[in-house]
Amino acid sequence: MNICECIPHVALLRNLFEILPFFLTIFLLKLLAGLLIFMFWYLPAYTDFIDPGADIPDEDDRRLHRRPLLPREDEQEDVEEIERRIQERYARSLNVEYDEEATDVEQQALLPSVRDPKLWMVKCAIGREREVAVCLMQKCIDRGPELQIRSAVALDHLKNFIYIEADKEAHVKEAIKGMRNIFTGKIMLVPIKEMTDVLSVESKAIDISRDTWVRLKIGTYKGDLAKVVDVDNVRQRATVKVIPRIDLQALSNKLEGREVPKKKAFTPPARFMNIDEARELHIRVERRRDPATGDYFEKIEGMMFKDGFLYKNVSLKSLSTQNVQPTFDELEKFRQPGETGDGDMSSLSTLFANRKKGHFMKGDRVIVVKGDLRNLKGWVEKVEEDTVHIKPNEKGLPKTLAISDKDLCKYFEPGNHVKVVSGATEGATGMVVSVEGHVVNLVSDTTKELIRVFADNVVESSEVTSGVTKIGDYELHDLVVLDDNSFGVIIRVESEAFQVLKGVPERPDVALARLREIKYKVDKKIFAKDRYKNTLSVKDVVKILDGPCKGKQGPVEHIYKGVLFIYDRHHLEHAGFICVKSDSCMMVGGSRANGERNGNSLTSKFSHLRTPPRVPHSPMRPPRGGYGGHNNFGGRGGGRGHDALIGATVKIRLGHYKGCKGRVKDVKAIDGNLGPFAVDRSHISDNVNVTPSRETSRYGMGSETPMHPSRTPLHPYMTPMRDSGVTPYHDGMRTPMRDRAWNPYTPMSPPRDNWEDGNPGSWGTSPQYQPGSPPSRAYEAPTPGSGWTNTPSNNYNEAGTPRDSGSAYANAPSPYLPSTPGGQPPMTPSSAYLPGTPGGQPMTPGSGGLDMMSPVVGADSEGPWFLPGILVNVRRPGDDTTPGVIREVLPVDGSSKIALGSSGNGDVVTALPNEIEVVPPRKLDKIKIMGGAHRGATGKLIGIDGTDGIVKVDDTLDVKILDMVSLAKLVQA
Amino acid sequence: MVNQGGGGSVAVAQIPTSFGHELRACLRCRLVKTYDQFRESGCENCPFFQMEDDHERVVDCTTPNFTGLISVMDPTRSWAARWLRIGKFAPGCYTLAVSEALNPDLQNICEEEHVPYVPPKRV
Repeated sequence: MNICECIPHVALLRNLFEILPFFLTIFLLKLLAGLLIFMFWYLPAYTDFIDPGADIPDEDDRRLHRRPLLPREDEQEDVEEIERRIQERYARSLNVEYDEEATDVEQQALLPSVRDPKLWMVKCAIGREREVAVCLMQKCIDRGPELQIRSAVALDHLKNFIYIEADKEAHVKEAIKGMRNIFTGKIMLVPIKEMTDVLSVESKAIDISRDTWVRLKIGTYKGDLAKVVDVDNVRQRATVKVIPRIDLQALSNKLEGREVPKKKAFTPPARFMNIDEARELHIRVERRRDPATGDYFEKIEGMMFKDGFLYKNVSLKSLSTQNVQPTFDELEKFRQPGETGDGDMSSLSTLFANRKKGHFMKGDRVIVVKGDLRNLKGWVEKVEEDTVHIKPNEKGLPKTLAISDKDLCKYFEPGNHVKVVSGATEGATGMVVSVEGHVVNLVSDTTKELIRVFADNVVESSEVTSGVTKIGDYELHDLVVLDDNSFGVIIRVESEAFQVLKGVPERPDVALARLREIKYKVDKKIFAKDRYKNTLSVKDVVKILDGPCKGKQGPVEHIYKGVLFIYDRHHLEHAGFICVKSDSCMMVGGSRANGERNGNSLTSKFSHLRTPPRVPHSPMRPPRGGYGGHNNFGGRGGGRGHDALIGATVKIRLGHYKGCKGRVKDVKAIDGNLGPFAVDRSHISDNVNVTPSRETSRYGMGSETPMHPSRTPLHPYMTPMRDSGVTPYHDGMRTPMRDRAWNPYTPMSPPRDNWEDGNPGSWGTSPQYQPGSPPSRAYEAPTPGSGWTNTPSNNYNEAGTPRDSGSAYANAPSPYLPSTPGGQPPMTPSSAYLPGTPGGQPMTPGSGGLDMMSPVVGADSEGPWFLPGILVNVRRPGDDTTPGVIREVLPVDGSSKIALGSSGNGDVVTALPNEIEVVPPRKLDKIKIMGGAHRGATGKLIGIDGTDGIVKVDDTLDVKILDMVSLAKLVQA
Repeated sequence: MVNQGGGGSVAVAQIPTSFGHELRACLRCRLVKTYDQFRESGCENCPFFQMEDDHERVVDCTTPNFTGLISVMDPTRSWAARWLRIGKFAPGCYTLAVSEALNPDLQNICEEEHVPYVPPKRV
């Protein structure tokens, strides 16, 4: 055994040579020589211990000579100094050989150079990395120096590969030849720059000890937060407490021998164990006393519970201690009932242990959370290693106090603007609204959500950010499909996960999905049908008809599998997203005709009107202008005795709520985004949108005239009526008296001159047109201010109902009258009227008057706006599309008489509106304006800018920018 | 039994006889062996811990928590060994990093023996 003890000694001596100056080596040489002789002398007796191929003396000789040669120059310079140093060193001990290694040499100096061996990456069987490395070691021992590899590295985090250090690839090949678990196929050289990375592993910094927060790495509780209760370092196990995820029903089934589905489709949600509940399910609960601690546990099926927590014995390896970072919610859950904020001091200490360097900085406002000085506030003056010098806020204390950083916590006051620097909401900024101990509540700048974070995780900052809105390919508000084929909308992006509002219409279900749990993003254009079989596409505004969110409305953001995600910015939960089935919704402005499209020409006309692309669905472009005319139709209030505005959607034009839209709840109130509030009605602008139900009812009321086509909920129904002017009622209206009655209004119109100029023959002769004519004032008076434009249309309405004609004027001053005018350009009547009497149009002066007063004209409306003289394409089933020119628009169902041929020379046919398509004009075409204030006017399209057309109006020579959708090519007869 | 190295006239440390959870690493030199190997033969690089005499010492001086494994065949000429500062130890299997530090008593022993001890760097 003697030799066995000697050999480590040799190694020791060899190491000495590396640091000893030359003259000392002579002495050592002698010593070594003696040793070698000694060894060789006894070698034969121990051959079974020593590799037979060893050429020890040669090897060592070479080293002895080579190594000490290098320091020769130094030694000549100051031999004595070195001698002194060496002696000093060796006077202490012979074991100092590690000194150099431990202290003097910077890691930097050890960086690999080209002369160093290289690292080669070799593929091996998965899970056998360590084994392979150890086997290589054994092989090298067995085979001796013939294998020239230097080392073999197996990394824990790199599966399937090991690294082999050698000078040449051939050496690697030689070494791995015949090895069972190594695949010899490919040997990859590690670039010299990456060599250090291979060997850099972070040592696990935090030991697992009592009260440490950890996360479980495997099983049902994977990713769950747990608190260490006890650690058995010898057995490498720990007892942790977690919030149980136990499906009691399934457990009960199992215990009673009932069928238990094999497949674990889902992980039961984490919730505290309720022993009573378990007993109710006839699950046997034992009460046991832990002999070690004296605590009582409830034992169910071998599982130990205490205070609702599950106490689980796990392997230390299955616990993750790195970056545990318990979120606020998790800690909140863990807190025992009755435990106050101070109760989790221990957990705080774990949090503090996770603090990064430079946590506190000069100027930080801090509060002492431990010790005698607890609750003392102050500012950080200076930070040392573990000690923070603070300047206390209180008088009578020393200028600065040194306090352990573990006893300090950052402190914020309401009103501070802060940024979250770690945790799930990392990156978000907001204003502190309240502080509870070490917890800070802040309102996010962007989402306006309340965020609860630890004071530790925020810093004061004036920055305003939303935090992350994108991870990988997925962004906030994307529709994604998850692992389990469920889908949903991303409503919040956290630092490592998404909050997804699942596509479950019954109740809002928010899931937290990590990046890898998302399968893909849905980008397809998908359509759905609403309750009334209207085709819905993204951006259509819908109203929810039933369910918990009944009554809410907003644009459709996503459609998937018949489920809509609607964005209602007044919905304060789930980032404003509401998930509903498509058939519990109705498209705003959609038909309620329940799919009887073909049977009902009016409906079909309507559906045509809503579906063609020119009807803007986009919420970004709500129908321009209101349906002022409609209001007026219903304006008489029917039997309801309500203001016509009630139910109308209006936009507030002036004042504090300028730009807000809302529905009129009462004549005194509007529901805007801040709840009902009163707005001066004169501040209300045009009706931006009207919900169909309201429309319908109004039309119903307006339709007291049997002949009136307004039975349909279509606003554009006025068109035929106005243009035709052939119905008896209309004729009836064209009595001289009526004309006179109307006249007063026209002179009030600013563009009256145009109007008069344009129609000298038909109107100019009438003396009643003179401005300021007394009778007109009489009617005008009750509607002071801006009311006048509407008044005529209202009157018209009334006039359209013969029975009521007597009371029409009396009704004129009704309070709703002045409500609509705001948005109606005063220009409207006359300008619209003007082109309404072009040459070829079968229009009498009377009908012209009607035209002027037509609600559509008055309103800045959208709709099917066919007018005589425009070029259209007629498309009928079975037929090709043929161009034609509208000659006449019939009043009954909105169908039009169309002269076929692009110049209108062909046969005259009658076509339904849904068979007609307006030919969009091209640049420099003569056009006719079909909608808006200038409806009926002709002009020239002098330019196109996106969806807008630049039009030079013939009569006024004004240049207007109008929506291309409202322009049609004019064909002069 | 101690394996005795041929190549460099240097004793090779024991090679782990298994690759599972029994493996432990010496907290000072990071040598990796099984618990039993440490108990029977101690640590080749740190004989002063005398683990073979006191089995309790094995638990104190070694840890099962380590990351990565490197077999060093030729410590003097291996760059990796030099980088990891195990170039002066016996050939054998080492770990790249241990997560714990020696307890103060054992650190005192190192000091008495004038052997350096570098505690693991905390992240």
